[in-house]
Amino acid sequence: MTTRLLNALIYLTTALIGVAAFAYPFVLPELAGANADAHAADAPVLTVILLAAGLVVLLVEVQGQAVSAKVVAALGVLTAVTAALRFIEVFFPVPGGFSPIFAPIILAGYVFGSRFGFLLGAMALLVSALVTGMVGPWLPYQMFTAGWVGLTAGWLPHPQNRRLQIILLAAFGVVWGILFGAIMNLYFWPFVVDGSATSWQPGTGWRDGLSRYAAFYLLTSLVWDIGRAGGNALFIAVLGAPTVRALIRFRDRFQFQQG
Amino acid sequence: MRAEGWMVWVVSAAAAVMLVHNPVYTVIVLLAARVAGVVCARSDAPFSLSLARIGGLILALSALFNMLMVHVGELVLFRLPANWLWIGGPYTVEAGVFGLSNGLVLLTLLVIFTTLNTAVSTSELVRLMPRALRDLGVVILIAVTYLPETMGQLRRIREAQAIRGHRVRGLRDWRPILIPLLIGGLERAMSVAEAMAARGYGATADARQPFFVQFLLLVGLLAVFGGWALSFWAGWPGWLLLGAGVVLIAALLWRLGRQTPHTRYRPRLWTRWDTGMVVTAVLPLIIILINRDGLTYSPYPALDWPGFDPLVGLSLLLFLFPAVVRPIQKNNNPQITQINADAFP
Repeated sequence: MTTRLLNALIYLTTALIGVAAFAYPFVLPELAGANADAHAADAPVLTVILLAAGLVVLLVEVQGQAVSAKVVAALGVLTAVTAALRFIEVFFPVPGGFSPIFAPIILAGYVFGSRFGFLLGAMALLVSALVTGMVGPWLPYQMFTAGWVGLTAGWLPHPQNRRLQIILLAAFGVVWGILFGAIMNLYFWPFVVDGSATSWQPGTGWRDGLSRYAAFYLLTSLVWDIGRAGGNALFIAVLGAPTVRALIRFRDRFQFQQG
Repeated sequence: MRAEGWMVWVVSAAAAVMLVHNPVYTVIVLLAARVAGVVCARSDAPFSLSLARIGGLILALSALFNMLMVHVGELVLFRLPANWLWIGGPYTVEAGVFGLSNGLVLLTLLVIFTTLNTAVSTSELVRLMPRALRDLGVVILIAVTYLPETMGQLRRIREAQAIRGHRVRGLRDWRPILIPLLIGGLERAMSVAEAMAARGYGATADARQPFFVQFLLLVGLLAVFGGWALSFWAGWPGWLLLGAGVVLIAALLWRLGRQTPHTRYRPRLWTRWDTGMVVTAVLPLIIILINRDGLTYSPYPALDWPGFDPLVGLSLLLFLFPAVVRPIQKNNNPQITQINADAFP
C-alpha cells in the first residue's frame, strides 16, 4: 500500500517537473518578480539538470515496474525499428518537420499500454540520437516529450470499430505533431532573451508571456509543425490499421498486461 | 581518453558558454572545442555535419530574426512604418550584434556536442548508462545492435518486392515494405526473449526497489525541484539544495547498481591523463563562477566592445587539453589506441 503511494508520488512529481520545466518561462516572471531578472541567465542550465534528474528517477521507477525478458526484448527491437524509420524519412514525400518516428510510438503506446509507450518514446529518441550523433542538451527534453506521446497514447479509448480507431489515432497524431513542436520550442526560447515583442521577457505576466510565445510560434514554427502533424495523420491513416493488427497479435503472444 | 572524462569536459564547456554569454569567450570555447573535435575524432566516426554551412545559417538567422523583432538601439540602419505588427520600427546594428552573439552560443553548443559524438564511440556512450538502469541499458544495446540488421532487413524486403514488380510511388506503396519489417522485427524479439529467458535473464534479480531507496529517490527529486525553484528567488542557496538533491540521486543510483554484479570485457584503464582531463575541464567553470559579475555582454542600449578578463580568457584555453594530450598518448603507446579500436568497434 505504501509502495503504491510512493509510486504514485514519484509519477506525480516527475509529471510536475516536466510541466514546470516547460512552462517556467510563463509562470516564473510573475512569481519571482524583480529577482527573476538577476537569475534569468542560470535558468536554462538549471532546467536541463532538473529535467535530467526527473527523467532518470522516472526511468528507474518504470523499469522496476515493467521488467521481464519479453518486455526488454520487445522494447529493444521496436526501438531499433523505430530508429531505423528515422533514416528513411527522406523517402516520404511530406514536407516540413515530419518524422516517421512518432507513428510507431503512438501505435505501440496505444496497443501495449502507456508504460511501454513511455519507455519506447524515450528509448527511441535516445537511440536515434546515439546513432546519428545528435546527443545534446536538447536530448532530455526530446526524451521526455516523446515519452509523453507514448504515455498519453495508452490513455486513449479503445473503440471496437476499426475505422473509428484509426480516425482517433490519426487525430491524436495531428495533436501531438503540433504539440511536440510547441513544447520543444520552449527548450531554446528562453535562450533568446532579447526584449523583443516575440521573445521571453523576464518580469512580464504569464498572459503576456503566452501571447509573445504565440507570436513567436506562429512566425517560426507553425508551417514546419503542420507538416509534421499532417505526416503523422497520413502515416497512421495508411499504415495504422495493419500495424495495430500486427501489434495486437504479438501482444497476445507476449502476454502483455495492459495498463 | 575515457568517456567519463569527456562527459565532464562537455558539461563544463556547455555550462561555461551558457553562463557567460559573451562573444569573446564564446569564440574561444568554440575554437577550442572544434580543434579538440578535429584532433580527437575517431577513425570510424559516423558522419560529420557540415559545420561551416550550418554555422553560417544559425548566425545569419539569429541576427536577422533579432533585427526583425527588436527595435532598440542607437545605430539605426533604416526604418519600416511603426504600425506594422512586430516587424515595424527602426532596424538597429545593436539588435543584429545581439542576435549574432546569441547565435554564437547556440553554434558553440552544437560544436561541443559534435566533438563528443565524434570523439567517443556509441558503445562507450551506452556504457555510461548508470548500472541501476541495467534493463534499459540492455534495451539500448539490443536496439543499437539490431539497428544495422533492421536496415539490412529493410533493404532485403524492398529488393524482394521490387523483384515482384512492386514500385514505390506513393505513401500507400510503403505498406508491403514496412509491415513485413515490423512483423519480422517482432518475430525476432520473440526469439531474443526466449534466448534471454533460457540464459536466466530476470530469473534471479529482484526488480523491485527497496522501500527506503524509493523513498530517498523521491526526497532527492523533491530537493532538486525545490532547489531549482528556489534559485530564482534566492540564488546560491537554491543551487546548494539542487546540488544536494543531485548528489543524493547519484548515490542511490550507485547503491542500486551495486546490487547486480557485472563484469566488463577489456575495460579501458583510468590514467593520469583522465584525471588531468577532469581537472582542466572543471577549472575554467570554477573561475567563471567565482568572478561572474561583469562577464556577460549586452550591446543595449548603445553598442560597445565586449569586456575581456585575461584570466577568464586564458582559463578557457584549458578546454584544449584533449587536443594537446591526444598526440602525446598516440606517440607514447600506439598499441593502446589500436587495442581500444579493436575492443570498441
